[in-house]
Amino acid sequence: MKSAIGKIYTADKRQALAVGLAASMAAVLLLSLISIVIFILIRGSSYFWPASINTIEYSDFHSGKTEQVFGQILMSRVPASTFAEDRVIEQGLEQHWLMSRVENGELIQSNEIILPTQIVSSRNELDIAELRLTDGTRAFIAPAGIRTEDREYVDLVEFSDVHKNVKILQRQLKVIRDEHLSPIHRQIAQYDRDGVALDAPARVKLLNEFEHFQRAIGNLEQALNGYQLVVRDAMGKQALVPMGNIVSVNFPNRLGFWGKMGFAAQRIWGFLTEEPKLANTAGGVFPALFGTVLMILLMTVIVTPFGVLAAIYLSEYAPNNSLTAAVRIAVSNMAGVPSIVYGVFGLGFFVYGIGGTIDSLFYSDRLPSPTFGTPGLFWASLTMALLTLPVVIVATEEGLKRVPQGLRDSSYALGATKIETIWYTVLPVASPAIMTGVILACARAAGEVAPLMLVGAVKFAPTLPVDGDFPFLHVERQFMHLGVFIYDGTFHSQVNSQGSSMMFAACLLLLVCVFGLNFVAIKLRSRLRKRYARD
Amino acid sequence: MLNLFEREKLDLQSLSPSDTAINVEGLNLWFGKKQVLNDISMKIPKHRITALIGQSGCGKSTLISSFNRMNDLVDGCRYLGKVEIDGRDINHSRENVARLRASVGMVFQRPNPFPMSIYENVCYGLKLQGMSLRRTLDDSVEQALRDAALWEEVKDRLFEPANILSGGQQQRLVFARALALQPDILLLDEPTSALDPLTTLYIEELMISLKKRCTVIIVTHNMQQAARVSDYTAFIHQGELIEYADSDSLFTMPVKKQTEDYITGRYG
Repeated sequence: MKSAIGKIYTADKRQALAVGLAASMAAVLLLSLISIVIFILIRGSSYFWPASINTIEYSDFHSGKTEQVFGQILMSRVPASTFAEDRVIEQGLEQHWLMSRVENGELIQSNEIILPTQIVSSRNELDIAELRLTDGTRAFIAPAGIRTEDREYVDLVEFSDVHKNVKILQRQLKVIRDEHLSPIHRQIAQYDRDGVALDAPARVKLLNEFEHFQRAIGNLEQALNGYQLVVRDAMGKQALVPMGNIVSVNFPNRLGFWGKMGFAAQRIWGFLTEEPKLANTAGGVFPALFGTVLMILLMTVIVTPFGVLAAIYLSEYAPNNSLTAAVRIAVSNMAGVPSIVYGVFGLGFFVYGIGGTIDSLFYSDRLPSPTFGTPGLFWASLTMALLTLPVVIVATEEGLKRVPQGLRDSSYALGATKIETIWYTVLPVASPAIMTGVILACARAAGEVAPLMLVGAVKFAPTLPVDGDFPFLHVERQFMHLGVFIYDGTFHSQVNSQGSSMMFAACLLLLVCVFGLNFVAIKLRSRLRKRYARD
Repeated sequence: MLNLFEREKLDLQSLSPSDTAINVEGLNLWFGKKQVLNDISMKIPKHRITALIGQSGCGKSTLISSFNRMNDLVDGCRYLGKVEIDGRDINHSRENVARLRASVGMVFQRPNPFPMSIYENVCYGLKLQGMSLRRTLDDSVEQALRDAALWEEVKDRLFEPANILSGGQQQRLVFARALALQPDILLLDEPTSALDPLTTLYIEELMISLKKRCTVIIVTHNMQQAARVSDYTAFIHQGELIEYADSDSLFTMPVKKQTEDYITGRYG
């Protein structure tokens, strides 16, 4: 049998077959890489692109009544029913629409699934606006005018002026709440704890002040509610939207290509700088981005000295025996340990072990509520440092090994001790390799999810780990992380398809971050190599 | 060529201590189980150029490396015997090796500039010695580069990376780096074998000019070079010192048969 094959496939043919096979594998690899990037790019960027708003007329499936709504198509897909195939053949893919209508004077947004056959007509009208509300929802309406405290009708032209006034009122409200009301509230609560009599003069005085500010707030809120946007839905039904709830009003149907680009740029900026809304399905990702960067920074500060020193010891000082070899193998194996194991270790050892001990030693007055004995930024950074330690050690050791012996000898011959030689000569030459290792470690930490969820990353953190209160960097706080954010968001996307495009946008951002880091690594390495190049 | 015949000849056997730069007495050296140097005794005169010749692997590089204890860096190296510099046994366990190496400079076969600027290369050793005053450093760097005949070529680009220099310039930079420490003894381990003939000539001139300042010991494979530049020559064969005499005598009328065979190219 073998000889028969040997006869059919001559050496030339075998060669051609092998090359062809290898090349096609490379092609498949390239294709999958490109498709990942393109897919994420398209789905992610669609989150920023202002899609046009349709005015559609469609007939209800059951009653047969036709209804007109403003809406936007979110996606089309094969219907999830048992007769899916037949229905696709008969009626096409089902479409998910985000629509707005007014019911009982209230503006309602709904996700609806309709079939192409239901749609009677569809058109783009220039005067339809996309309303962005403070809670993160979007509504599609035809604005009809503005109602203010004293005037029944103000033309839309004055929208920005009115909006500005509203914002001033809101700021005043916030100032009263934060700087006057809450200190009084705290003080009263303190009195209550201390058992001050209910009719003590100080307490009564505070209560009076409290009521005074409450009244001021009531007045302001009333004034605020006086500003309203009059909107109509596609059927002409009218509703009032408080101006205070409106973030922006824009008309995507009126925008040309460049107008849309400008709008998209604005939304990208918003995406990077704003807080998430609607349970992480709208708004921006700033806290997640900030948390990721801060965690990576802290991790780098921890892992670099540890990794480099360990690598120096292993490659320069450790005796060449079986113990060193065993340590080396252990380090390489550490890189292969599943990351969730690190997460569990971090939770058990760092958080409950070390953190719990710190709490019982230094923060015993705050117990039972933990300070360090709970997942937080520092423990997450420490866990990630442990996880990426092998990457740094292996890269550094490789770099140290490649430093020519002649260079070391030259340094010794000039009267340098071993540590001086390592510090002044060997390390600079090995620095491109060390840099590469550290940046690869950063990229790894940026993309990790599972262990982070155990040791400090949460889907929503009320505060950033950095603020104006001493000591400014609060490493014990929980934080948000892009990977965890995406993981969390994809679960919401099953009920709200608006969220899914946000997740793709977050994926795109993560991809950009990781690619950016790798790009920096390559650039830095080639620059350092040029600087420390050897003939 | 005239002065070739006028060279004074010292009696190498009974060299006075004040004329001796290095006094080797019964030096044996092993790498692991292999004996590389076998009972070598020789006195190397001060302010002269002494060449070590011999086949590859005969131990001449090892011998030169034992003058500044570079052999310590080799795993499994053991030695027995005395190497005296200024009446001090450098093989003593209390010897400060870093200080020894600062006073016994060494230049290797391949130029090895450090990955830093030309200036920093030259003051590397000085800084290790704790010299940090900018002006003294500047002066020392200039002097060292002048001594190595490199100053004119690099004075305008002292702060550029050293690896932009050509091979010959790099080797002279390495000389400057060693000379900046003002060593008493300069060990040259085949300093020209990686260089072109013209640069070799430069380096040879440099060596001769250095004689005034320090004792030069050179390992070379190039017999013509040894004859040209050195005052004394030692022939080493399989770890043993076969013959050691002034260069004129050794190259013109070798006493030992082995020496004659080697210098006439019958083996090696």
